[in-house]
Amino acid sequence: MIDLSNTYRTGKRSRLSLERKEAVWGYAFVLPWIIGFLVFTFGPLLFSLYASFTNYDITSQMDWVGVRNYRNMFTHDTLFWKSLHNTLYYVVFNVPLTTFAALLLAVTMNQKIPGMRIFRTVFYLPSVLAGVAVFYLWMMLLNPSTGLVNMALGWVGIDGPAWMTDPSWTKPAVILMKLWGAGGGMLLYLAALQGVPDHLYEAAELDGASPIRRFWHVTVPMITPVIFFELVTNLIGAFQIFQEGYVMVQDQATPGSPMNSLLFYNLHMFLKAFQSFQMGYATAMAWFLFVVVIVLTLINMALSKLWVHYEGGDNR
Amino acid sequence: MKKVNKAAIASLVLTLTTGALLSGCGSSNNGNGNENSAASPAPQDNAAPKEKVVLDFWTFWGSETRRPLVEKIIDDFNKAHEGTIEVKHSYYPYGDIWTKSLAQTAAGNPPDVIVNSIEETGLRAAKKQNTNLAEFLAKDPTVKDRFREDLWNTVLYKNDPYALPFTTDTRMMFYNKTAFKEAGLDPNKFPDTWDELEEVAKKLDKKDANGKYARIGYAPQFAGFDAKSIAVNFDGGKGWLDENGQANISTPNKIEGFNYVQRYTDRLGQKNIDEYKAAFGSKEANPFIAGKVAIWPDAVTFQTQLRDFGKGMDVGIAPIPETKEGAGHWSTGGGFVVEIPAGAKHPAESWEFIKYLTDVQAQTYWAKMNYDNVANVQASNDPELTKDPIYKASVDNLANTRVYTRPAAAADLFKMLDPQVDAILTKKSTPKEGLDQAQKDVSDLIAQNGG
Amino acid sequence: MSTTAASSSGSYFQSRRARKRIANIVIAIIMIALGIVCLAPFWWMLSTSLKSMKEIMSFPPTKYPHALHWENYKHAWVSGHFSRYALNTLFLSCVGVVAHILSNTFIAYGFAKIKFPGKNFLFSLMLATMMIPGFCTLIPQYILFSKLHWVGTYLPLTIPGFFGSAFQIFMLRQFYLGIPNDLIEAAKIDGANHFYIWSRIMVPLAKPAVIVIAITTFQGAWNDFLGPLLYVNKESMFNIQIGLTAFRSAELTQWNYLMAASLISLAPVILLFFFFQRYFIEGMNIASGTKG
Repeated sequence: MIDLSNTYRTGKRSRLSLERKEAVWGYAFVLPWIIGFLVFTFGPLLFSLYASFTNYDITSQMDWVGVRNYRNMFTHDTLFWKSLHNTLYYVVFNVPLTTFAALLLAVTMNQKIPGMRIFRTVFYLPSVLAGVAVFYLWMMLLNPSTGLVNMALGWVGIDGPAWMTDPSWTKPAVILMKLWGAGGGMLLYLAALQGVPDHLYEAAELDGASPIRRFWHVTVPMITPVIFFELVTNLIGAFQIFQEGYVMVQDQATPGSPMNSLLFYNLHMFLKAFQSFQMGYATAMAWFLFVVVIVLTLINMALSKLWVHYEGGDNR
Repeated sequence: MKKVNKAAIASLVLTLTTGALLSGCGSSNNGNGNENSAASPAPQDNAAPKEKVVLDFWTFWGSETRRPLVEKIIDDFNKAHEGTIEVKHSYYPYGDIWTKSLAQTAAGNPPDVIVNSIEETGLRAAKKQNTNLAEFLAKDPTVKDRFREDLWNTVLYKNDPYALPFTTDTRMMFYNKTAFKEAGLDPNKFPDTWDELEEVAKKLDKKDANGKYARIGYAPQFAGFDAKSIAVNFDGGKGWLDENGQANISTPNKIEGFNYVQRYTDRLGQKNIDEYKAAFGSKEANPFIAGKVAIWPDAVTFQTQLRDFGKGMDVGIAPIPETKEGAGHWSTGGGFVVEIPAGAKHPAESWEFIKYLTDVQAQTYWAKMNYDNVANVQASNDPELTKDPIYKASVDNLANTRVYTRPAAAADLFKMLDPQVDAILTKKSTPKEGLDQAQKDVSDLIAQNGG
Repeated sequence: MSTTAASSSGSYFQSRRARKRIANIVIAIIMIALGIVCLAPFWWMLSTSLKSMKEIMSFPPTKYPHALHWENYKHAWVSGHFSRYALNTLFLSCVGVVAHILSNTFIAYGFAKIKFPGKNFLFSLMLATMMIPGFCTLIPQYILFSKLHWVGTYLPLTIPGFFGSAFQIFMLRQFYLGIPNDLIEAAKIDGANHFYIWSRIMVPLAKPAVIVIAITTFQGAWNDFLGPLLYVNKESMFNIQIGLTAFRSAELTQWNYLMAASLISLAPVILLFFFFQRYFIEGMNIASGTKG
């Protein structure tokens, strides 16, 4: 941008110009993202923020209504709280469980055992399967009398619940299904684990550290950046849960059933937008969630300074 | 519509200017890129000779069985309109098709004709998503007479039509005659009233050695005529909203309907019902075809499944029961309409096409091949079709069938009602408590929406 | 791996080997058990895909197909026009992989290793974009692409990939942060500029992460449903996920075909993963050479 060549004179100025040069490089590197953000995201974002203060219904009206949508959300809409509760329930169980399961899988998969390639593929497999086929598949598996899950529970003497018809078991059922797909997160851990130098383990082993101690004192500190990444993205991802409540119901005409136990926040929002055509209201809900997740993520990032360890330094 | 475009454009200005630069680089051919009137149809449409209009017709009939039928109907139309109108069929998945069409309507580039649900035609009209057909109807006033009156009423919004009914359906009781004989019942006589049905159902129940139900005679919790439909039947066919669009939920008769359903829950046991329900919830196996249930209410199109997968079954069909002699065998139905989304480019030609789709020839063909109850009365009563006793029964049943609409003010009606119904069915609240709550919730909702 | 231990006393060496072997056996048993749990649902899919519709409609469900209807696979493939859809999906996935690797490794380098004013703000902004639920911007985004005259083409599905994705930038940044700054300083002293450092040092070092990106991008594009549905207006441009929906209709779902086609559509992703694993190992060697 600016001709920097003639500013190389005194040491002070040259440091300044070096910094400037660095900055230009920095902007050059992040420029594609800035352009993409401005073109594809910022406009739609602004639009939805504006829409949240209107009675926008996509096709016929968009009149300013002030904070009415936000007020209705908190004071009138009982389903808002219900759906928030459902989503929080899911997040609280899903995020730690899948994060931990993926880590555990990765540690197990990081052994040098013949046939490991096949095992890794097997555990990764569930996370690849997408679309409604998965949901229907699990509805069959969760069938209380003929499904595989209750059959397996029966072998150990447990009388399994009526998973998808009993409102108190629907969310655990979905969490269970999601756990099956935890192998997707394994990939990142695996990549990170393989980056942990062997000599660190050997040193710890010679010091007589037990495998568990080695795990906590060598492995975990080395891969904290990845754990942190997984936590943040899993948290964001879990808040977006939606399709499960739409598809995995006994009656397609009543999404979120039974008793709205699967009416997740985003599902409620989706139905408001595309079935009741209250897009303004739905965008208000979206922005509220947006703020909640940002706050949680900021907390997460602040806490991360206490435990995330970056080898290369400069973790700002 | 105009207002929206303005607002949309206003807040997109920033991105559009950047975007216009980008698209200008990519495709240098369009000089008038900023003109929003452009929102042009696909380029290949422009290439066609000027006088021929190409219509984009969206359906969700992509299955092996339905697709050839709809394409045959389109073919016939295209042949008859050689050189003037050509209809192109586009398949999009059920459900998602409407999200897509809504996005395209909002962007000012909708399809020309789309198949949509009948219940929400008025809601879409209120939201200006479809085209008012009054001016076309004025030129072709007889089109209206093709349809049964109550079906026609579902497509009206403020007395103007916004779609033409294409198909409807009706729910009836299918029953296993072999099971009837086995239980010592007359296979040619299906109970008339709900109380009689309960007695018959008890006789049809069969338990195995472990005391588990090997067969359930009938349970209202299953299949196509649910507790809500039974409540409406009990209430003389009156829906959840009255004629003025006000909540009509907590009525003594509807409560009675739920009490009736509860009797089955008490007798059969919640666990057994749950197990059956979940077992068939994924809609994979069918308990009636599998012989696990002897009486099965469903839309009459269920007959096609019986035909294909229930070989050798001896099945009877009967109307939904009534509460007492003369109260009415009220059944519920739904269906689909063909409509022209708002802002479509060729409404006159599209009107020609939807007129053709709902005319006798196309409708008779559709009915013959699909077992669907078509909206056109004459096609529906086609002498060749009504030779089939089951089809005939379904046509007769239409007289007792009501289609319940979901108007704009009560768009969230079922979101309020369904959880209460779930609570009643799982005995978390009594029918009265549940329906009272729903009555209050829906009334609030309607008041809030100014209905 | 255990060369250093060879110098230890023989008994220690032996007991260590024995312990290791026992541990390996235990791990193998656990993995086999878990593997069965993981695969059981697929067994169900496979068995359904080989049944006739008549058998699928029967109750209770049969555990094994009475007769193996392998022709279901052929039928599902041919009747669903899957050859065409598979090519389309492959094209979209490959473009996606190239776009994402290029843009994200590039952008992430800026966020991880260069100091410039406003970096933290931009980075937070980027993270924030990850939290926007897709469908609240669906309509305005659609209007935007429509104004750009991109609807009906693959542009809305491919071009945004060249401008980075928040998730992957975040991930790569995490990886870059773990690479010592000394390397960069050393390269700078040798006269290398940032572009050179990015292309010749950082990307090769981040190979494991790049492969993860390749696989997840491929998988994401392969499984995308809403994007193609919204922006594609011709059946000849459909992808596999849309093709699968043709087996489900309001009245009846052809489970056997749906499951058969789903299983076929899994194959490329599985094969990709199976064969790309070796690069993880390579990636490890490079990474461990620089770390610690």
